[in-house]
Amino acid sequence: MSLKKKISMTVNGRLVNAEIEPRRHLVDFLREDLHLKGPHLGCEQGACGACTVKVDGQIIRGCLFLAVQADGSVVETVEGLTKNGVLTDLQESFMRHNAMQCGFCSSGMLLAAAELIEKQPKATREQVREWISGNYCRCTGYHSIVDAIIDVLDARAKGQKIKPVLADA
Amino acid sequence: MELNGEQLISAPIPEVWKGLNDIDVLAKSIPGCEEISRISPEEIHAKVMFKIGPVRARFAGKLLLSDIIPDQSCSMAFEGSGGAAGFAKGKSRVELKQAEGGTLVSYTTEASIGGKLGQIGGRLISASAKKIADDFFQKFAKELGGETVALESDAGGK
Amino acid sequence: MKSAAFDYVKPKALQEALSLLEQGGDDAQLIAGGQTLLATLNMRLSEPTVLIDITDIAELKGISVVGDSLRIGALVTHTEIEDSELVAKHAPLLKAAAPHIAHRAIRNLGTWGGSLAYGDPAAEWPACSLTLRATMIIHGPAGERRISANDFFIDLYTTSLEPDEILVATEIPLASKQEVFYFHELARRHGDYAVAGLAAVAQKQGDVLTHCAFTFFSVGATPVMATKAQDLINGQKLNDELITKAVAEARNEIEAIADITNSAEAKQHLIGVLLERGLKHMIA
Repeated sequence: MSLKKKISMTVNGRLVNAEIEPRRHLVDFLREDLHLKGPHLGCEQGACGACTVKVDGQIIRGCLFLAVQADGSVVETVEGLTKNGVLTDLQESFMRHNAMQCGFCSSGMLLAAAELIEKQPKATREQVREWISGNYCRCTGYHSIVDAIIDVLDARAKGQKIKPVLADA
Repeated sequence: MELNGEQLISAPIPEVWKGLNDIDVLAKSIPGCEEISRISPEEIHAKVMFKIGPVRARFAGKLLLSDIIPDQSCSMAFEGSGGAAGFAKGKSRVELKQAEGGTLVSYTTEASIGGKLGQIGGRLISASAKKIADDFFQKFAKELGGETVALESDAGGK
Repeated sequence: MKSAAFDYVKPKALQEALSLLEQGGDDAQLIAGGQTLLATLNMRLSEPTVLIDITDIAELKGISVVGDSLRIGALVTHTEIEDSELVAKHAPLLKAAAPHIAHRAIRNLGTWGGSLAYGDPAAEWPACSLTLRATMIIHGPAGERRISANDFFIDLYTTSLEPDEILVATEIPLASKQEVFYFHELARRHGDYAVAGLAAVAQKQGDVLTHCAFTFFSVGATPVMATKAQDLINGQKLNDELITKAVAEARNEIEAIADITNSAEAKQHLIGVLLERGLKHMIA
């Protein structure tokens, strides 16, 4: 008996059909089968947040969700959200603030921050810290990340965009 | 981790001692015991399915008895491996005393848990150990045709 | 690490799920949000042969007012509770507690029913369901049965749920206008399991609290109610002297169990700290 299951889902706007083992979690499916290397695999037990992806419009832990569970869903990763511009302001702000060093946490951090900006546009610094407490960064000490997110919140509140880094070059 | 406790079992000392040394009684009393065999008077091997909350891991382990004074006390060293799940090892001392209503079994245990189980399950190891000990004595007393009266138990990380 | 292999089925109806559960026996495992289960599967701390995904079952979904109760389906996620207007109005304690559960990405998937069925002594929902005197609605081969939260949590990770049963929903009496509540947990980092926590409600009339329910969590093998401290407070004028008495009583009546980093004494101490803060907050 083959344990493989047929699944189909939309990944970054593209319909994907596949046959996979039920034990394959979503991030392994995205990275190994679809070659989307944006979502990272850190702890594989839901602690670090490096695997954060969006399923049906909400951020989730990609290591705590099976690919079979995503059957029929809309999945978005940092690749898709970069292309369609959803993350542009955050990415510019992260660059301005040096809110990354090794970059391992960045895709997860960006997706978590994007959902915060959507759900709590008036978030305080304290609320930003609480929100990203589920994403580990072992390089920056978090301050620059919080600064970067706060800048985007401020800019949005004023109806402004973050000035691209390249414009200053 | 330390686990110390006392249990009053409504059976006379020789019966309790015999029970603690009878692998058939132990097989029925150890929660999740799947296999048990006596290798020598001092060595017992067992396979146990450790089942608590979301965790279900099979441990293979051995128990070495020492300082055996019949009807009084013994020491034991134990170690178990649950493969990828982790391992547990430690030592325990058990003493029997006559008390009103039966036999007072007191035990002191020191154990350490490692591997994935320690990493993820460490938070509740003391509470889990206490539950397993309680379950064991309840079943054990039932096997001897008696019952347990919990006196006190102190699961501490001290 | 990667999970061991297993099969996966996704029934559409409750009856189908129940028969799959019966057939699968000990080797079958229900999955809803999977936020506890997936971590244990990935670490091979459990190796079921089949997962029964219950997330398609309509009867297990949704938040609604039924008569004088708030019905919360087992599949309702922590985020849905956090964002629900019905919850904010009728069970505000739950809205206050929700943000303490792990992190948003986990709250988006983890479920109310999953948390209750595991009965983790450090989890928020078992404690809240005790405090709010919830009724668990359970389906099994013999049909439906109802049981109060008070009788549901038996021991560490042990509830009255039988292996062939599924928790369908809970019903919580609607909060009255006089209801005051306090929810707080002391954790080293936001989203971590609490060192100790308190979920409290009471009815407030002037400077008197009645119908007190103070449930502490992450201190023992199950969430525990400080019933003696409640009795002290119920119907008495609440002043500093009474608070001091109640704090001592709560520390005395609850036997804390140490965890890997916190001693029983520390937890015992924190029980009092939380109760004092809670009482002052509720009477203010």
